Amino acid sequence: MLTVSDLVVKRGPRVTLADISFTLPAGKTLAVVGESGAGKSTLIAAILGLLRPSSGEVTWDGAPTRDARPALVMQEPRAAFNPTMSLRRSIMEPVVAQNISLAGGRLERLCAGLELPLDLLDRRPDQVSIGQAQRAGILRALIASPPLVLFDEPLSALDAVTQKHTARLIAELQAEEGFAALIVTHDLGYAVAHGDQIAVLKSGRIEEIADAQDFALNPRSDYCRTLRDAAIALGALEAVA
Amino acid sequence: MIKTAGGLLLRALVVLSGTAILTFALLWNAPGDPAQAIAMARFDALLTDEVIDQVRAEVGLDRSFWQAFWAWLGPLLTLDFGNSAVTGRPVWPDLWASISYTFPLAFAALGIGLIISVPLAILATKRPGSLLDRFAVGLASIGNAIPAYWLGLILILIFAVKLAWLPALGASTPAHAILPALTLGLGVAASLTRIIRSGILEARGQPFLPAIRRRGVSDRSVGRDHVAPHAAIPVVTVFGLELAFLLEGLVLVEVIFGRPGLGTFLVQAILSRDFSHVQAVVVLTALVFVVVNLVIDLIYRVIDPRIGESNA
Amino acid sequence: MTLTVTGLSAIRSGRTILHPTSLVIHPRERIGIVGASGSGKSTLGHALIDDLRQQGHSVAHVPQSPDEALDPLRSMAFHWREAEEALGLQAGHADREGLFRALKIEGGDLRKRPWGWSRGMQQRFVIAMALIGAPDLIALDEPTSALDPVVAAATMELLSGFLDGKDTAMALITHDLGLAALRVDRLLVMADGHLVEEGRTEDILERPETQAAKALSAHRNWMALPC
Repeated sequence: MLTVSDLVVKRGPRVTLADISFTLPAGKTLAVVGESGAGKSTLIAAILGLLRPSSGEVTWDGAPTRDARPALVMQEPRAAFNPTMSLRRSIMEPVVAQNISLAGGRLERLCAGLELPLDLLDRRPDQVSIGQAQRAGILRALIASPPLVLFDEPLSALDAVTQKHTARLIAELQAEEGFAALIVTHDLGYAVAHGDQIAVLKSGRIEEIADAQDFALNPRSDYCRTLRDAAIALGALEAVA
Repeated sequence: MIKTAGGLLLRALVVLSGTAILTFALLWNAPGDPAQAIAMARFDALLTDEVIDQVRAEVGLDRSFWQAFWAWLGPLLTLDFGNSAVTGRPVWPDLWASISYTFPLAFAALGIGLIISVPLAILATKRPGSLLDRFAVGLASIGNAIPAYWLGLILILIFAVKLAWLPALGASTPAHAILPALTLGLGVAASLTRIIRSGILEARGQPFLPAIRRRGVSDRSVGRDHVAPHAAIPVVTVFGLELAFLLEGLVLVEVIFGRPGLGTFLVQAILSRDFSHVQAVVVLTALVFVVVNLVIDLIYRVIDPRIGESNA
Repeated sequence: MTLTVTGLSAIRSGRTILHPTSLVIHPRERIGIVGASGSGKSTLGHALIDDLRQQGHSVAHVPQSPDEALDPLRSMAFHWREAEEALGLQAGHADREGLFRALKIEGGDLRKRPWGWSRGMQQRFVIAMALIGAPDLIALDEPTSALDPVVAAATMELLSGFLDGKDTAMALITHDLGLAALRVDRLLVMADGHLVEEGRTEDILERPETQAAKALSAHRNWMALPC
């Protein structure tokens, strides 16, 4: 279980995260929603152990999150790969680096789950579609069986149809593999459809944290209502009578 | 803005005092006995140890490093460079005489560089990859590769020896400055052409240009109002460095063309171990650099105020 | 004025990325050009703008992000004056205050450069510039994807409100049928460089015929909320 308790991150005089507390059980999904500058990226960096919190704690099953080797899926699929290397080499890097022996057929199984033909992995990132590159990014994140996977705007570079398709593949793999997923997104539609819980981040604070369906139907604060209504006005969520 | 100006000024002071300490320390610790060198330059004869020791005491070389440093720095702060230990004359008038030869030459070289490079780069980038573009790039590469002393000798050979159009040695008439200015100017033109060319090409790739054209703005206005300012940023940045190369070239060119000036002054000073002269040149050069970079920094902030904002 | 283009096509490095396409846009009409990435929707959008311009119509274009529309070294006032001049208008001729009020950017300081404004305000400034001189058509290229949702929703709402009762037609180019469905009367579905389906928005949402339209329609929202 991921436990974030009283997390505060200050950068210079500015507080970028204040009093952040939540838990994320294994196998569950927490969607973190917020506008640009709300502190979403800082939260990811803090959970990955890339920055030292000013106070508070981030742990996975009681130990520092770093020890659990959480994986990260990045926003820009192509930029997340070394452009001169084959996808396969990039994907196998965490395996080689952590000196893990892969269970027989794991790569093949993940490829099948992500609908990536095996021979596609021998191409370079610029030789595959952006959707395929993002699925390869997910494959790389999952290959070493991390207990926790962080998704930083994983769908925002994809078109609307590919977004839904990719989200479904992530959810199916999560059911099989049992990792906890923390998804940072500005798309409330995605958060509501695929999150167990939603945390709304505003100016470095958690504005509301709630069960996803409840949140969508009945946001408690004015700000959260504005977010919900914007998602409806942009067609991300459909309001039906 | 006042805060930034203050910061820039402080930076300038740090650079200047650092340069002063460093030159002094380097000269102080240079191998060989400076007193002997000075005595030789002064008396130009066989020297006894007594004479050398006398010189050492007179010039103050028997003091400790810091004593000597402060004794030198104090007057320097009031722009008093003191007297030369070798010539016995005040440093400043001799230095000023050299400057009055060197600075006009430097400006002429910069002018020639700009007159050639700006139109050449603009023409070359009209159609990147065209014959003219490749010609300009080739010319710039060759220009960068040719050392100033070689180019200077070739120009002397052609215009002074073969054609006898221009004088080669000395500095008695303005015509004497043409060949040295050309030697330096061609080098400046070569490197500026490359920088301006790539600046223009990079500016042309700015993401907002297609939309501005689609708005119906003419190519001419786009070039003047949007491409030129963006292209100017890297050019302004590199201008300071350009000055460094220019000063380096000046030393060589003045010696080749037998011109008086800072370069010749410096070479003589080094050969005769004339501390005060060397230090004066170095401090003056550092001052020029600091002032030029200060001005460039300010120009920079006028073109692109984001630079000041992000530092604040 | 009714806008008509016939046989628009585009070839890039030997590959046909837009097969001959014809369409008609009526005054006040709002159309959506929708399709997956690489379907040719942006190519059609740009070809449409260029062709109509050549015919002498006034067509304004709003790129995806304000970074693609504004020079960071030039002030907002400069951009505005430049846009006026490009249309052959005297400085200050356009009803700037009216447009700024309609798009709620009247508080913006024109002396500032783009980065002195918020991104949402920058985008609305670009839209305001596009509306100078009441063009026959305003084409918007994924106008919401570079903005935060709240700002994006407000921008679309303000633009819609402004266009109500005006003759200016609107073309919304997007991969997001959910967005288009709320804003346009007629949809043009693109796939592999072809215009594969065209029809009234409700018809395509309810009875999509082609593979592309079916996929777009089925995935237009994340989920339905009973509220």
